[in-house]
Amino acid sequence: MSTLHVLSHSPFGDDRLNSCLRLLGSADALLLCGDAVYALQPGGAPFSALQDKKISLFVLLEDAQARAIEIPDWAKVIDYPAFVELSIDHDKVNSWL
Amino acid sequence: MKFAIVLFSAAHAPSSRRALLFAQAALAGGHEIVRLFFYQDGVYNASDALVTPQDELDLPKQWRTFIDEQKLDGVVCIAAALRRGVLNAEEAKRYQREAVSISAPWELSGLGQLHDAVQDADRLICFGGA
Amino acid sequence: MPKSLLIVSRQSPWSGPGAREALDIVLAGGAFDLPIGLLFLDDGVLQLAAGQNAKALQQKDLSANLQALPMFGVEELFYCLESANARGLEKPSLDEAQPLSAEHITALIDRYDQVITL
Repeated sequence: MSTLHVLSHSPFGDDRLNSCLRLLGSADALLLCGDAVYALQPGGAPFSALQDKKISLFVLLEDAQARAIEIPDWAKVIDYPAFVELSIDHDKVNSWL
Repeated sequence: MKFAIVLFSAAHAPSSRRALLFAQAALAGGHEIVRLFFYQDGVYNASDALVTPQDELDLPKQWRTFIDEQKLDGVVCIAAALRRGVLNAEEAKRYQREAVSISAPWELSGLGQLHDAVQDADRLICFGGA
Repeated sequence: MPKSLLIVSRQSPWSGPGAREALDIVLAGGAFDLPIGLLFLDDGVLQLAAGQNAKALQQKDLSANLQALPMFGVEELFYCLESANARGLEKPSLDEAQPLSAEHITALIDRYDQVITL
């Protein structure tokens, strides 16, 4: 069983990323979109947390582009068609609203 | 694959545009959308009363066009809508309100429709928050 | 076999309609006899604090609806132990709610067919 978790809030001053990482299963994946892509800002605590955790990490391209965030090689950039496929690859989608 | 897509955020939220783009990609990928369900602030996407500046993305209009052209089931939670002042003619009459702000193709209905969609679909995907 | 749905409620009862609107999804599912579970996570555990006073804010009392959940056939009730401890919540006011550690919550989410986290 695997779940695709989706985060869209900035990780700074918000506990969704931390809670999500606590509950992430070994086969789960995480998609960062919206302000959640700020988690990939190098030098921040979220960046280190994600790098250390070694999870299946995806980033929505338009949100990284809008924010001029560089994607590290341990994250995969996706577009909307790939987002649809990702939601099918996993058994369910858990968006942290 | 059959998708149930639920939107919880207002039209100006980035997550609402994201929901529409996902929905469009799902259909383009040959999948089916069993229902679009609008809950909490998501009901504002169905409002006729929103006025978007000319140089901005008119998301309510885009949703309406998408639902019309693709003949989709666009359901707005009636309880959430009433609480937020999104009323169709019937509800406006019932509650004696002047403003009618929702019309076809949008349909006002209960949370039973959400559960129905969850049961019918292979995948449930929610958008909202931010 | 109907699909099971887990609702993860993360809002405090006083931060807006979120807590109530999460509960409404649960109650509607219960009314249709669907297999629904409810997990209180993060600030959601604050819905289980004892002695709260809705009248002080001219609001409806959410805890009365929570107590009624088993009557709606919703008995799969859980709360995150870590979230409760972090917020100094000693004993939840909902007896039927089971405390879960993080790894048990991961397993819980896996067990359900669908999930809505609001």
